[in-house]
Parts: sequence; C-alpha cells; structure tokens
Amino acid sequence: MTDKLRLMIVDDEPIVGKRLKRLLEKEGYRVETFTDGFTAIEELTKKKYDIVITDLKMDHVDGIMILETAKHKNPDVKVIVITGFGKKETSAEAFKKGAFDFIIKPFKFEELLQVIKKAGISLEEGLL
Amino acid sequence: MNFKIWHKMIIGITIPSLIALAGGIFTYEYINDVKHRHGFVEIADDLKGRALEVRRNEKNFLLHKTDPYYKYCQDAISGFNNSVDSISEEIVDQIGKDDFLLLRHSTQAYSGLIYALLRNYQQETDVIERVREEGRKLETFVASGKHARELSINFILDMRRWEKNYMLFRDKASFDKLNLSLSLFNNIIPFCFECARYTEAIHTLFSVYNEIDTKVNDLQIIGTKLEEITNKIASRERQKVSDFFTHTQRLLLMALILLCTLGPLIVYKTATYIVAPIKRLADITRKISEGDITLRAPIREHDETFTLAVSFNKMLDHLQLTQESLEKSMELLREKQEEAEKRASLGFLVSGVAHELNNPLNNISLTAETMKEDIKELSPEQMAEYVQDILAQCERAQQVVENLLDFAGARKSSSKNNLNIVSVVQESINLIANQLKVNNINLRLDFHDSILFIKGNRSKLEEVFINLMVNAVHAMKDSGTLSISIKPDSEINNVFIEIGDTGCGISQKDLKNIFEPFFTTKPVGEGTGLGLSVARSLILEHEGEIDVDSTEGVGTTFIIRLPLIEGSV
Ligand SMILES: Nc1ncnc2c1ncn2[C@@H]1O[C@H](COP(=O)(O)OP(=O)(O)OP(=O)(O)O)[C@@H](O)[C@H]1O
Ligand SMILES: [Mg+2]
Repeated sequence: MTDKLRLMIVDDEPIVGKRLKRLLEKEGYRVETFTDGFTAIEELTKKKYDIVITDLKMDHVDGIMILETAKHKNPDVKVIVITGFGKKETSAEAFKKGAFDFIIKPFKFEELLQVIKKAGISLEEGLL
Repeated sequence: MNFKIWHKMIIGITIPSLIALAGGIFTYEYINDVKHRHGFVEIADDLKGRALEVRRNEKNFLLHKTDPYYKYCQDAISGFNNSVDSISEEIVDQIGKDDFLLLRHSTQAYSGLIYALLRNYQQETDVIERVREEGRKLETFVASGKHARELSINFILDMRRWEKNYMLFRDKASFDKLNLSLSLFNNIIPFCFECARYTEAIHTLFSVYNEIDTKVNDLQIIGTKLEEITNKIASRERQKVSDFFTHTQRLLLMALILLCTLGPLIVYKTATYIVAPIKRLADITRKISEGDITLRAPIREHDETFTLAVSFNKMLDHLQLTQESLEKSMELLREKQEEAEKRASLGFLVSGVAHELNNPLNNISLTAETMKEDIKELSPEQMAEYVQDILAQCERAQQVVENLLDFAGARKSSSKNNLNIVSVVQESINLIANQLKVNNINLRLDFHDSILFIKGNRSKLEEVFINLMVNAVHAMKDSGTLSISIKPDSEINNVFIEIGDTGCGISQKDLKNIFEPFFTTKPVGEGTGLGLSVARSLILEHEGEIDVDSTEGVGTTFIIRLPLIEGSV
C-alpha cells in the first residue's frame, strides 16, 4: 500500500460523515465527507476518488446520481451504496449501474471496512 | 302469413297489375260489343229505310196500278224481308217472339194485299170498260126511242155524267148522285133488259171499288204499322247503344277510381308489410346500441330477415357473454389491484418506518462504535458531544415512534365531546399565529363568530388543522396568504372547512401520494411525511372527509367536511 486511497463519503445525515471520517482516517484512508449531493458531484468533476461511499435516499441529488456521475468520470471508481430502506429493487438498480457493493443501515463499522478493503484489493488487481 | 320478401313484392306488384289488366280486358270487350252494336244500329237504320222504300213503292203502285209498279213493290217487300232476316235475333230480343211473328205475318199479309189489289185493278179496268160500253149501248137504245117515253135521253146523259164524275172523283157525293139516278132509273123502267145490263155493270163497279178501297185501307194500315215497328227498332237500338255508352263510361270511371285508390293502398300495404320486420330489427339494433345488450331480435317471420335476426341474436349472445366475462375479469382485476394497493400502502409504511428509524439507529451505532474505539483518546468535551448526539438521535427515533402511534390513533384519548368547530379552528390559528408573523404570511378569515356544534375530540381536530396550516406555511416559505373559511351546509347538515394557501402547489404525480404515511418531499429532519396521513385518519375517525385541490405554482386548498350535530345550524 504505497499511496493512501482517496475516499468520498456522501450522506445527508451529518453524523455519518463525521464518525466515518474519524474512524477511516485511523485506518489510513484519505477521507472527504459531504452532506449535500450537489457539492459532492462538483467535487467528483474536480478530483479523482478511488472509492465513493454514498447514501441512497437524499433530497435533490440521490445516491444513484452520485453513482452515475462517479462512474462516468472514472469508470474504475468503486462505489459503495448505503441505504436506510432495505429494498431489493433499488439495490438491483444500483448494481446494474455499476455499484461495487451494498450496505444497509444500521451497519457495523467493521462491516463497511471489510467492503472498503475488498474494493481496495479489486482496485489493485485492476491496476495490474 | 309466411311469405318471403320477394313473394310479398310479387304480390304487391301483381295485384295492381291484375286490376289494370282486368280493366283493360273489360274495356276491350266493351269496345268490341259497342262495335257489334253499332253494326246493329246500321242494320236497323237500313231496315227503317227499306220500310220507307216499301211505302214509297206502295204509293206509286196505288197511283199507277200497273204491273211494273206491282213488281217494284214486291221487290221492296222482299228487300225488307231480307233486312228483317239479317237481324231477326236482335228483333226478337227487342220486340219479343210473338210480335216478331206478327211482323212476319203482317209483311206476308201486306204482300198478299198488294197481289190482291193488282188483281182488283185488272178487274177494275175490265169493269170500267164494260160500264162504258153498256152506257154507250144504253144511250143508243134510248136515242132510238124504242123505249118508254118516260125515259128521256137527258136523264141518261145526266146519269152518264154522274157515272164519269164518280169514276173520276170516287167520292161519296158522286156515289150518292149516281146511286140515286140508278134507283130512279130502275123506278122508271123496272123491267128493261138493255137497261139491266148497265145497272148490273155499275153495281159490279161499286163492289170492285168497294173491295179496292177496303184493301187499300188495310194495306195502308199494315204499311204504317211496319213503318212504326222499324222506326221503333231503329230508335231502340240507338237508345241501347247510347245507354251502353253511358254504362261503359260509368264502369270505366269506377275502374279508374278503384285503380287509383286501391292500387296505391295495396302497394302501400305490401310495402309496409315488407318493411315491418326490417323496421323491427332496426328498432332493436337502435335500442341495443343505446346500451341494452340483453335485448334480442324477435324471430317471427319466415322471410329473409329470419336468418338475419337469428345471426344477429347469435352475435348478441356472443357479445353479451364476452361482456360478462370481461366484467368478471375486470372485477377480479379490481380486487387484485385493491389488494396490491393495500399491500403497497403497508409496504410504504413499513419501509418508511424502517428508513426513519434506521437513520437515527445508524447514527447512534456509529457514534457508540467511535466512542468504544477511541474511549481513551477522547476529551471530556468530545465525550459530551458524542453522548449528546446519541441522546438526540434517540429522541428522533422516539418522535418517529410517537408519530407512528399517532397515526395508528392509539395514543391519544378518543373521547368525543360536543365542540364548537369555529372555536377549534380559531384556537388552532392562535397556536400558529406566531409562525405566520415570522414568515410574513397574511391571514384571511372567512367565517363568522357563530357556533357550529360537532361531536369530536378537540386535541385531535386541532392537530389536523395545525398540520394543514404548517404544511401551508412550508409551501409558501416567507410570503403569501393563508385563507381559512368555515361554511355550514344546512341541507346535508355538514360543515366545510377550507384551508387554502398561495404556495408552490402539488405536482400531479405527488397528489395521489400525499395522504400516504411517510410520503414527503421535504428534506430529512424537516418532515416525516406523516402529517397528512394522520390528518386523514383523524378526520375519518370523525366521520368526515378530507380532500385537496391544488395547482402547481398557484396554490393548494384542503377541504374538510365534518357532520354537524342535528339541529345545530
Ligand atoms: N399546502 C401544501 N402545499 C404544497 N405541498 C404540500 C402541502 N401540504 C402537503 N404538501 C405536500 O405533501 C407532502 C406530505 O405532507 P405531510 O404533511 O404528510 O408530510 P410533511 O409535511 O412532508 O412532513 P410532516 O410529517 O412533518 O408533516 C409534503 O411533503 C408536501 O410535498
Ligand atoms: Mg407536514
């Protein structure tokens, strides 16, 4: 692990961003958090992220839009979708659009970390 | 009657044609008859002419008294007889058998009389000759003076003059004078041989003349009779023909009238007769097209419309079956849809609850995990912040559960009192008055400070009105007008409360969802989407109704109907 992976976290619940940033930075990732979909999309066009973690249900700009924009800017990006509704249809749609994995609230941090690690490995494999 | 249409048509055309044909044949026959009769008239006229001819020849014969005239006379008679023979039957018809025979006899007698007259005329010439000769002898005898002196020559000459006069005039005066002379003569010399021959000749002449006169008289009587009869026959025949013409005219007129009235009548009758079943079918189809699919065409006629009606009915049977099965499927579909809607609604509720609870739970769990991880590194301030976060999220979750319980209507007391709805609305307005001021919103009230009683729960109804007013304030942000009206309808004993705003309005798409629990278009933390669904269930609890009327960009009005207590208006 030569370089730190760049993570983006989008959730309209501010506590989620705050807590995850602290926990993930301790795990050695570079983390930026957003509570508003618009700014997140703006950021996506400016900077390159390795992994995007987004809430699905948000006002105005939802998780699917974040997923689509991220994939459009960088097809290699790994997008992990979080949602409060455990709905199969939305998860199916997210997978179809290229989501790496799906996590349902409430989740354990360890759960998310495993998924992020898997995403990191698959990123490395992609580079080889 | 079981006729096919073309049979009916043939009948319809044939009957008037037959009438016309019968009229034609009838007329033709009549004209033929007239022609025939006209022939009779001519013959009758001819007969009349011949009778006149006979009379003319009779006159000539009586004048000339000679053989050739007798022959002419007989010729005319046989001509007359021929004429009679040629129309004997007609004549019998007209004057009867007896009179006809009489006519025959008369002509025979006439002919016989003519013949007898001819004989008499010959006799007359002889007698006249003898009279003259004897006269001359008598003259000579008297002149010789051989006889009595009493017998003068002048007397004889006078007598001879009377004789000549008589022969010339043959009248009564001459006869009387001659007869007187003769009797005087006999008195003078009663037994004179020479004289007797003359007297005898004169007497013979008398008798011949007498005979002739009777015969001529008879002849003229018969002749006149013949003339009369023929005249009668001719005029009768003429009369008959003219009668016949009038009769024919009348008959033809009648036939024409019959044809003119009966013909169209029959044509009309057959036409309606033909059209009737078609019309019946048309009537039925019209009624069916108006919606009554259970009707059927009557199957009565055994004509072409029979098959039409049968197939039409079969088609209708199919149609009805299809419609019925369609209706059944529709019913099934509707039931399924209702079920699906129920399930979807429940799903909406469950997933809504899940989302609303999962978020605070997730926040609590993440905060707790962080605390557990970093318990030694955290400053007391940070610790306090974390605990505060957890408490806030707990409260949030509690709020959701509370709202849910509200929605289920299980939390608050459901006791109902007699309430003045006007005061309930007024109270609700007072509760949000401050919010209106802050948001710069005008309030327009359209109700009187009257009393309208309903049966209800004050806090529940206040919650409904506040929910609606808060929604309106949210929709208008920081300018607009909130209008509230209360209108009783005494006819149906209900009250209508309208809460209108000049806010953003609701899109067509959202309009059908707004009463669903957890449906919200508001950002997280600002709305749970329970306000309207709670309002609806509370209003339903009060046996009322809630409805919405909204135009995007113009505004929204919520209308609530509540039943009034009997006689409170
Ligand atoms: N007066 C209004 N004008 C425009 N939209 C409205 C109005 N009232 C309700 N809505 C729409 O209906 C949705 C549902 O309203 P509802 O009151 O049920 O939930 P909410 O206001 O979002 O949240 P809360 O549970 O806090 O009331 C709102 O999100 C809004 O989109
Ligand atoms: Mg509301």
